[in-house]
Amino acid sequence: MLSEIREGKTLPQVVKNITQEKINIYAEASGDFNPIHIDESFAAQTPLGGTIAHGMLILAYVSEMMVQAFGQNWASGGKLSVRFKMPAYPGDTVTVSGQIDSTEHRDDVLYINCSVGCCNQKDETIVSGGAIVKLRWQKGLFNA
Amino acid sequence: MADKGRREASVSYEELVAGDEFPPVSYELSATLVSKYIEAADCSTDENVPPLAIGACAMTAMSGSLSLPGGVIHASQEFEFFKLVPIGATVSCQSRVARKITRSSMDMLVLELDVFNEDKEKVQSGKATIVLPAKGTNA
Repeated sequence: MLSEIREGKTLPQVVKNITQEKINIYAEASGDFNPIHIDESFAAQTPLGGTIAHGMLILAYVSEMMVQAFGQNWASGGKLSVRFKMPAYPGDTVTVSGQIDSTEHRDDVLYINCSVGCCNQKDETIVSGGAIVKLRWQKGLFNA
Repeated sequence: MADKGRREASVSYEELVAGDEFPPVSYELSATLVSKYIEAADCSTDENVPPLAIGACAMTAMSGSLSLPGGVIHASQEFEFFKLVPIGATVSCQSRVARKITRSSMDMLVLELDVFNEDKEKVQSGKATIVLPAKGTNA
């Protein structure tokens, strides 16, 4: 959990290496066997040029960052809205980052507005968007 | 099938219309399934199911009602989480076609879903925009 909640506070980065093996395991776990993810010969014939990671796998990494920052508040009161800007390929290193943009205290609830994003090792944006976390207000607990 | 129709069988993009609802799907978020997800997503959890695991299963359940070509990709995604879901719980997913966008070079679908626990409480909602392969190519 973050030690303090304030505007500008960065969220703990999450760094993951994408491999075809991880993509295959994710396909098994999620049941998403779209050939663009797992069939290298199929994917090679598409404009993407090769297999790509599931978008939901990349979002799992975003969610991991939010859990690290906000604990169970994320899973019980979180909101995520993202756009996929480009695919993540096997061999890519994905860095998930974010920061608190603003906070709002309303009806004993603290709304924490964050920007979130994922970049590859070339610093190209893969995912960008925003997240909101709702925390029950506890006086003195946060520097909001 | 008319708008707001209930889709009982796997249907193609051409057959879908905005407002179509897919049959509700129930599934157990078993310890085995969650364990497999945690390994795949390289994450950890407590006694609750990672929210994205619920979303991923819901998306897969929804896609079971669709017959789409290989090469479909994700353009955007929204999720809202309302309640924790313990490992071993059974949830049900209701999904529908919110928008169908047909362009000369590209087709897109906006799909919405709601996930409920056994007490009929909404635990999660989502909205996915997916892009179908460009016409005349694999993707």
